[in-house]
Amino acid sequence: MEAGFTTAVYVVAAILFILSLGGLSGQESAKRAVWYGIFGMGLAVLATLIGPGHYNWLMSIILIASGGLIGYVVAKRVQMTEMPQLVAAMHSLVGLVAVFVGVNAQIELASIAALRDAGDQAALDALTGFAKKLAQKDAVELQILKVEVFLGVFIGAVTFTGSVIAFGKLAGRVTSAAKKLPGGHLLNAGAAAGSLGLMIMFLMAPAGTGMWMLIAMTLLAFFIGYHLIMGIGGADMPVVVSMLNSYSGWAAAAIGFSLGNDLLIVVGALVGSSGAILSYIMCKAMNRSFISVILGGFGGAAGPQMEVEGEQIAIDADGVAQALEDADSVIIIPGYGMAVAQAQQSVAELTRRLRAKGKNVRFAIHPVAGRLPGHMNVLLAEAKVPYDIVMEMDEINDDFPNTDVAIVIGSNDIVNPAAQDDPNSPIAGMPVLECWKAKQVFVSKRGQGAGYSGIENPLFFKDNTRMFYGDAKDSINKLLPMIE
Amino acid sequence: MKIGTPKEIYKGEARVAMSPDSARQLQKLGYECLIETGAGVAAAYSDASYQEAGVRVVDSAAALWAEADIIAKVRQPETSELKHLSANKTLISFFNPAGNSKGMEAAKDAAVNVIAMEMVPRISRAQKMDALSSMANIAGYRAVIEAGNNFGRFFTGQVTAAGKVPPAKVLIVGAGVAGLAAIGTATSLGAITLAFDVRPEVAEQVESMGAEFVYLDFDEEQQDGAATGGYASVQSEEFRNAQLAKFRELASDVDIVITTALIPNREAPELWTKDMVEAMKPGSVIVDLAAEKGGNCKLTVADKKIVTDNGVTIIGYTDFPSRMATQASNLYATNIRHMITDLTPAKDGQIVHDMEDDVIRGATVTFQGEITYPPPPPKVAAIAAQKPKEPVKELTPEEMKANEIAVFKTQTKQQVMLIVVGAALLLGVGLVAPVSFMQHFIVFVLSVFIGFQVIWNVSHSLHTPLMAVTNAISSIVILGSLLQIGSGSTLVVILSAVSVFMAGINIFGGFLVTRRMLAMFQKS
Repeated sequence: MEAGFTTAVYVVAAILFILSLGGLSGQESAKRAVWYGIFGMGLAVLATLIGPGHYNWLMSIILIASGGLIGYVVAKRVQMTEMPQLVAAMHSLVGLVAVFVGVNAQIELASIAALRDAGDQAALDALTGFAKKLAQKDAVELQILKVEVFLGVFIGAVTFTGSVIAFGKLAGRVTSAAKKLPGGHLLNAGAAAGSLGLMIMFLMAPAGTGMWMLIAMTLLAFFIGYHLIMGIGGADMPVVVSMLNSYSGWAAAAIGFSLGNDLLIVVGALVGSSGAILSYIMCKAMNRSFISVILGGFGGAAGPQMEVEGEQIAIDADGVAQALEDADSVIIIPGYGMAVAQAQQSVAELTRRLRAKGKNVRFAIHPVAGRLPGHMNVLLAEAKVPYDIVMEMDEINDDFPNTDVAIVIGSNDIVNPAAQDDPNSPIAGMPVLECWKAKQVFVSKRGQGAGYSGIENPLFFKDNTRMFYGDAKDSINKLLPMIE
Repeated sequence: MKIGTPKEIYKGEARVAMSPDSARQLQKLGYECLIETGAGVAAAYSDASYQEAGVRVVDSAAALWAEADIIAKVRQPETSELKHLSANKTLISFFNPAGNSKGMEAAKDAAVNVIAMEMVPRISRAQKMDALSSMANIAGYRAVIEAGNNFGRFFTGQVTAAGKVPPAKVLIVGAGVAGLAAIGTATSLGAITLAFDVRPEVAEQVESMGAEFVYLDFDEEQQDGAATGGYASVQSEEFRNAQLAKFRELASDVDIVITTALIPNREAPELWTKDMVEAMKPGSVIVDLAAEKGGNCKLTVADKKIVTDNGVTIIGYTDFPSRMATQASNLYATNIRHMITDLTPAKDGQIVHDMEDDVIRGATVTFQGEITYPPPPPKVAAIAAQKPKEPVKELTPEEMKANEIAVFKTQTKQQVMLIVVGAALLLGVGLVAPVSFMQHFIVFVLSVFIGFQVIWNVSHSLHTPLMAVTNAISSIVILGSLLQIGSGSTLVVILSAVSVFMAGINIFGGFLVTRRMLAMFQKS
């Protein structure tokens, strides 16, 4: 098949990918959009398989099919609550692929350089595919190629280990607290400086040599990815996941440059910018700069935090049910605790029953609720909560004073009034859901512990707050029979 | 100890300070309860019902005053009653200490401890004994009922076969406890209710009761009710004029006016002037709850209902709570009972008059032969001081336009700056890089640009599907491995094969998960 045809197919695929992302602007068009993405991917793979420069299509198809089978099974089986770790795990695959492709390019380059040195013109002419392309490059182009390969491998390697650690944290296999090796950021900086030095050496070395530098840099990058994400606390995971998403995109773009493949560049840039914007939105929602998230942990408080006075008053299911019976308007604020307890179905059932009684029930979703951007929306959608009663923070924050009952299910920092009242609080200035303005607040919580960030929450001590202790799912299930 | 309640001797007073229910509770505190025969009749409590509750009925007032250690009554005691007082007894009742120096002297001389119910401080802890509030609640309700009784139309608007009925318009002046109760009653009867208060912070309460708050066009810093214990205070001349102008505007429009404006220890302010009454439609009704303190309308005659020449009814009754004697007695008796509970910390039927307690100290006007009125300010601030709110300025159209232009200009500036810097960078790269690189680089820059444009529009709730789908399409790196898999080098083939395999997992897994998520979003 002609190269021109392949390029034409790439253009179509690129447009399909753009439409696929653009279609996510609305729930209904999103269902169509995902098909655009699937077709785009199918076209791109097909065109590459039958296009010039490809010689091993039987093996490729078998590998894709077997990989696809595993992907299919995993995606079918995964629980909606395990979505964050699945996405993180899949990012690591993309990162590793980018590393392999970059290393391959270097190996090819080495073999071509060897042929050139040997003056074997016949062998050079006999080269096919990717190697042929490489052989045609002049000195400047080779130099640029080396930068591209180096960058692609670096970003890919950081993405790989970073995603593995993010997966471990989200799946609860690695401690979610921010952990750093002694030396902290200096270690990262040292590793980054080492990588930069290796890159300069790599560029100075004649084309095709310096494999060990590439490998050494890869190891350093693996370490950076590991240490960077280990140093970020669990509460910042939404930012981390979208950041890694962005990295995997940039890695793909860098690989696209080294292979001279425009489709890779287009898609890599799309994914990279998408992840970057998501990270920005998440950071803004937490009122934190991107840098401070990357550097991990919450910044030091400027002074002593306000003492929390009063006591937490518990309430049982009867009391909550009674208040819900009397209420006209209810706002539910779900958080990570709901996801952990898998309580979304029970919450949805509660919502249905309350709505059947003519009560105005809505959900307030904080942008960083959960461990993934939009995490809560997905869980509620899974439980078939109609999405037009699921509101964003800005849409609903003004409605709390007119609300009879606010129910906080497994969220903590995102409803912490200290963010507004206490300038010394580590989360001061972070926009929060002002649920304490509702007439009554019920907090479903497992115990008296502090939130993910370890900050005491004055909400729990307010006069109009009652603590509804227990596992979120059990607690809501206890309520259900009382509300008929 | 013994608690006794005499029959009220004030003319027309139907309330009683002890109900059978409250008596039962008092006995649990260890007290013995006495009541004068017939004391509860006007409030629909017979002697028999008291006896059933374990209360001993005493034949005469004199016997009761002599026997009881604690006297609980409603109205401020008359001179004849004060004569019965003797040392070390406790009197709990309304006392009007500010205007009853004679009574206080008498109590002091007799060494009686007097607790004046109207002096209970307005702090959260003391709400259960705040008799002023519980009586004001009744007055507000009753004021609307009295108004309705004298008003010739429905409150609610109706469209009937016999014609259309417009809804009544009710204006409540003063949104204290009585005002809020009146608002609640009027709105639940279906009237269009407007309310005004000099304390702008009550607007929220007014609106929560379903009425519309009447705002003044007035700039001066309005007073903060928290500083005066939640009560209104005196207004500046300008403020008063703005207020009267607003009322004048409303006078011809409203059907019922209920005024509840009182300032502690002062004559009631005149808010509804003669010309406003004249501007009102015939058949309109004014209920002046401030009649006892001279009235918010100067035409009001205390304890009387009058009709003006233009057919406006003005009701100046001062005994609204007494007109609902059963309800009022129930609430008042409960207030008294709470006061006695606080006075009996050990629940042993013995009074401990703790002058260190803010509430008890505040309400006590004579103690052990001393006049202790007025009390020192309470240690606990009654209401948290209001934070000054940033006034939201209404912008004129010109200002808004100017703002828009300014925003537009800064945005243009930013964009132009970005474009210039970006272009300069591109040119710089173009100077050194070869053509083959630049072709790819342009594609890259344009794609980043498209990415930014597209992603900003993605709806918030779809961020997780967005991540899943971008993850799936980032497995486009499979193209790289596919291109390398045909290489001659074995190592390259192995690495590419592993890459193709992993990318395959990602493609299928990523898209399938995205589809699963999206399939769940549904509209109600």
